[in-house]
Amino acid sequence: MITQPHHVPERLALLSGSAADPFLTEGLLTGEQVHSGIDLAKVVEPLPDDDARWWVEPVRSLVDDAMFAFENERTRADAWLAPRLHATLRLTRQEAADSRLWNHLALAVAPDYVVWRHLSDSSRRVAAARFQGPADRQCFSRLWWAAELFRNGPDYGPVEVACGNQDLIHTVLRMDFLDHRPTAQALVRLLKNGKVTTGREINGLGVTINAAGATVIYDAFAPDEPRDPDRLRDWIEEAQTAPPVSRHVLPEGPDEDPAPEDSVAELTEYFAELFETAPVRGRKIED
Amino acid sequence: MKIYPYKRLSRPITLRVTSVSLKLSDGTRDPLDTSAYSTQEQAVALGVAGHADWVSATIGLSATLPPGADAPDAAWSDLRVLAVLTDGDTNVRTSTALTRDTEGSRDWSGFMELFRDDHLGRANLGAYAVGTVDGVRGRSITETDRNWIVDTVSDEPVRGLRLDVRKASFSKSSREWLHAYADAPWLVDTTARVPTVFVNTDIDGIVGLLDSNGSGVESKVRDLLVAQMATDVWTAVFHGAIGDLEVEPGGGPVFPTDWQGEVLREMLPDVVPGVHVEEALRQVHRRRTGDSGWGELQTRIHYAAVRRAEAAKAVGYMIRSLERTNRESET
Repeated sequence: MITQPHHVPERLALLSGSAADPFLTEGLLTGEQVHSGIDLAKVVEPLPDDDARWWVEPVRSLVDDAMFAFENERTRADAWLAPRLHATLRLTRQEAADSRLWNHLALAVAPDYVVWRHLSDSSRRVAAARFQGPADRQCFSRLWWAAELFRNGPDYGPVEVACGNQDLIHTVLRMDFLDHRPTAQALVRLLKNGKVTTGREINGLGVTINAAGATVIYDAFAPDEPRDPDRLRDWIEEAQTAPPVSRHVLPEGPDEDPAPEDSVAELTEYFAELFETAPVRGRKIED
Repeated sequence: MKIYPYKRLSRPITLRVTSVSLKLSDGTRDPLDTSAYSTQEQAVALGVAGHADWVSATIGLSATLPPGADAPDAAWSDLRVLAVLTDGDTNVRTSTALTRDTEGSRDWSGFMELFRDDHLGRANLGAYAVGTVDGVRGRSITETDRNWIVDTVSDEPVRGLRLDVRKASFSKSSREWLHAYADAPWLVDTTARVPTVFVNTDIDGIVGLLDSNGSGVESKVRDLLVAQMATDVWTAVFHGAIGDLEVEPGGGPVFPTDWQGEVLREMLPDVVPGVHVEEALRQVHRRRTGDSGWGELQTRIHYAAVRRAEAAKAVGYMIRSLERTNRESET
């Protein structure tokens, strides 16, 4: 299996899809050969160099630690890395929606991690989308977005729960209803209290929430509070002086208010009710 | 058509933008004039005033409910109207309650605030009327049937797909990946935020030709060239969008939420005529991923692209213009 490229850049940068494409070689996708890093460095667009957020080292060392700690159970690295990546790489959603940043992280900074985490046992290949692909598939952006959508204000606890379940982040992450914070929190709560567990159940619940959302407007049913944008700005600003995130305890996210408890509780109950009667493949209906 | 398990209003809400202002990073507010939004296009362009440093935008909204919303025998109670802003790129969803203008009025108004940090390109803005039906709160009674588009970058309020055209010397550009294509007059990049056409300034005179705005043969040649580029773009973005489709577990392909979705909705009726766009998408996806039929579809895709690029018009005017030039040189 490949190691990191000989030349790892010091700073994060933007790598466009067209520029990235030639580096997605057969050798890389089978995890056997990695580029040297030198040619790739020529085709990137730099990010402002007065911003400490773009130093590569804190992210690179996180990834190294994840590979060390989870060598024997690689999927478990997601729940550990997602909150820590999010707290290390403090981004606005505007910045995080730029796929070029994730392309650079996956191809220039840590292609060895992408292969380590996503090399399929059966096909002996990594799907190209893990390097460069939709936000909910790409190796690092899926973790960042999972952390962003499942955190409850500064609390990354729900992120750990959500990312600890591969079915959840695999199927639910791209569903639009997650964008409503109380809905995301209610989903985690159902997972946490054991109401839904298997992949089929999670799929079934996702489909149910989606279908019910066509007639119930969750924003009205279970309102969220407006966000204070300054809290996020301050947290991002603190990245300039922040120490490395703890490897042992969960970091703290931006000091935003959590989703209103009433709304989360009400949705949890509502979804549980819907789920009782939802058709889930393989589940026997008791009579 | 969707079927609802309760009574609703059959007609949609009409949503209008009535004002737009930006809050700048120095704390001042800049009210934008009416060129920032278009009711015809149902689009808002927050880039019109050229501010790069805005922090948030406040959009004034007015919604008119269809008749019947306040009928005494309505199946709902606690009528409320919400404006909802969504952005598929950044997963942002913001809602704001509108208030009734005067008692008994069908007009509701309010303000939607959006933050620059929350958006990369375009957001969608719609409205819902909700009420309590059979004890269930938040039931949708009716909604807007066509959302407004809020473009956080554009300087012109238009709905359609915007292309980014960039000029660069392919052999010397700092975008080193362009070097490999030094002998191409133009290239289409569909991996960027919006589809981008790179025009190769190494080709002598190409920039002068593209920028020409005379009325002679030259401008007709330019239009033809532009139509040719546009055909390439439409073809490339269609393939790009179809290639990136997400598939629901155990289900069919899903329409992308960004510009790729717009492209597909616009082109599919020409690619698979006579069926609903959802069905057209399924058919195209099946042909691409299945054993056969993808090759046969290329002619339809090309046709859809040629139509969008208005190539027939450009060719027609070009020929007319040549005929006239020939006639003039004969006499």
